[in-house]
Amino acid sequence: MSRLVDHPIIEFRRGKEITFEFEGREISAFEGETIAAALHAEGIKFLRASPGRQRAQGFFCAIGKCSSCLMEVDGVPNVRTCITLVKDGMIVRRQKGKGEFGA
Amino acid sequence: MHSPDLLVIGAGPAGLSAAVEAASAGLDTVVVDEGVTAGGQLVKQTHKFFGNEGFFASVRGFEIARSLLEELVDFENVEIFQESSVIGVYEDGIPVLHLPSDTTRLFRPKRVVVATGASEKFLQFENNDLPGVYGAGAVQTLMNQFGIMPGKNVLMIGSGNIGLIVSYQLVQAGVNVKAIVEIADRIGGYEVHADKVKRLGIPVLLKHTVTRALGVESVEGAEICEVDEKFSPIPSTARELVVDTVCIAVGLNPSVELIAQAGGQIRYVAELGGYVPVRDEDMRATAEGFFVAGDVSGIEEATTAMIEGRIAGLSVVRDLKGSTDENKVSRLKKELVGFRNGPISARVREGLQKLGFDVSSGESRTGNLNNPQKYRGKLRPIIECFEAIPCNPCETSCPTGAIVVGGNINDVPVIDYDKCNGCGICMTKCPGLAIFMLQELPDEDSALIGIPYEFIPLPSKGDQVHLLGRQGEMLAEGTVQRVFRSPHKTNSVYVKTPLELADKVRSIRPVLQEDNAFVCRCEELTVSDIEAAIDEGYTDFEELRRKLRISMGPCGGRTCRLNALRILSRKTGKSIEELSFGVLRPPSIPSTLGSIARQKGAEDD
Repeated sequence: MSRLVDHPIIEFRRGKEITFEFEGREISAFEGETIAAALHAEGIKFLRASPGRQRAQGFFCAIGKCSSCLMEVDGVPNVRTCITLVKDGMIVRRQKGKGEFGA
Repeated sequence: MHSPDLLVIGAGPAGLSAAVEAASAGLDTVVVDEGVTAGGQLVKQTHKFFGNEGFFASVRGFEIARSLLEELVDFENVEIFQESSVIGVYEDGIPVLHLPSDTTRLFRPKRVVVATGASEKFLQFENNDLPGVYGAGAVQTLMNQFGIMPGKNVLMIGSGNIGLIVSYQLVQAGVNVKAIVEIADRIGGYEVHADKVKRLGIPVLLKHTVTRALGVESVEGAEICEVDEKFSPIPSTARELVVDTVCIAVGLNPSVELIAQAGGQIRYVAELGGYVPVRDEDMRATAEGFFVAGDVSGIEEATTAMIEGRIAGLSVVRDLKGSTDENKVSRLKKELVGFRNGPISARVREGLQKLGFDVSSGESRTGNLNNPQKYRGKLRPIIECFEAIPCNPCETSCPTGAIVVGGNINDVPVIDYDKCNGCGICMTKCPGLAIFMLQELPDEDSALIGIPYEFIPLPSKGDQVHLLGRQGEMLAEGTVQRVFRSPHKTNSVYVKTPLELADKVRSIRPVLQEDNAFVCRCEELTVSDIEAAIDEGYTDFEELRRKLRISMGPCGGRTCRLNALRILSRKTGKSIEELSFGVLRPPSIPSTLGSIARQKGAEDD
């Protein structure tokens, strides 16, 4: 819904359409997109609850530097979703605090 | 290849340039990079670069990344590992984590070039951790790398080059930039970049800052304030803007973690962005075997990063092979001096001096030195580049040699109108979009103005367009006379303007049909009038009525009410049932007081 099709300068070549799961919800994405980008395209910006004050947080830098986008991906917490490519069938969960393995 | 001659950390402009030099000299080179594609931050730069043509001037950032990578793929002695992060620098080697497989590989390279770039500076204000508060680079990544709209309405914080460039790019992607706020009393970036956003009508609010992000799980608004002389917000000036994204562009911090872990000395030099590694002119850090290049060694432009990367690569070659192309090294160093010579680089020069470098500055030619008025009637370029910035594509692209920048790349261009043939190539090449074309027409009361245009849809010959001034103000309507598409995507649109506006028209906007799509006939309110009011925060019918007088005309709202509610519903996401439809007041038809005075049967009461 928020993916650009026409742009005055750039031609976007998207990969194959895939689906992944976020909090039990099926989400479409394209190969070559990062998890954080694919979620943002669906309007999902709240990626984790901070460990101390449980505040809603999302990504800030989108290039792997700030570690604000940590989520649980296929049972592994603390994945920097802004530099991790989304894969077909991936299970992504909003991380609460330090997250859980195998969740 | 676990013990390569050279390990380059970071595949941005500096790292790739270092790798090209090392690989050309036959060194076994490994490049590791965290990103999903190589190129560093170049991959999301859609604007044309300043500089000279030897270093990709007038080429767009993502195309520069492509060229550098194409240079590298031809070498068999280079390996690039993407999605690979260096965990740290340890005594027994450098472990690199391959993110997709979650496995590491230990490298023991003979030399290392640290080209880790920089990270976005974070700004302190209430709720600044709310999702939707993004660094400017993050907004570019979403929009230009992945083609995803970062939001619908953006507030930009900071008017340095990045804030200005990203604002312009947001508009190219169809996003509304509500305002750019700047805490200082002047715009931080280049004049030509500022002019580009001003003529789009984006307000630049000087002596303002953001004080609060509003929202629960993501940004729904922002509070901005004027600041006093000490940069403290003045509470009485606070006002709220309806935005879904707050974009922070207040500078970058060099990413010095790895060079520090290697034992390299780090110094705080505010002018270079923060903590920077101590290094020499050959880009050699104080940790043995380590070199640095690009933003990690001090925040500058991609052009200087590429030059530094090449110098670092050539220095590694000298170290390992005993000799290097010294002519090239001195040429590159001279190039750096030239780039940093102008007034724009004063801060960088101060920073470099603190690191012990002797950095020369020179006098640069500035101001408006061209007098196009003498050549009335001739089709000719108007060059609105008055500030000394290191850039010369206008000179190098001119087929008749009419434009001269000269030996000091910071000098503003001078044009010889006798030599100019009016081809307009300079207009499409200028990275600052600061060149326009002008010709007074024989009818004596109109002129032809050529405008560089990088938006969609591209107008066609015969289209009516709004003619806008330097501040984005509407001046008149005009007709498109000619359109030239450029393969480099800076197209040329020539419009006819009244002669007296020839010095003022610097931008165009298509006349949208909705500009004449009326919702309220009585008060002559269009769809865009109502949408604009809703965007300003009037999200209730009664508020809209007070703001716009909608439904207060003679028809009493019979024509407009439901249509206005539909727009309100579409914009706010609330169903019409949920919205208040406002008060219905008499008189519900136009009637004279006389008709009431002449009330029949009144005498009967």
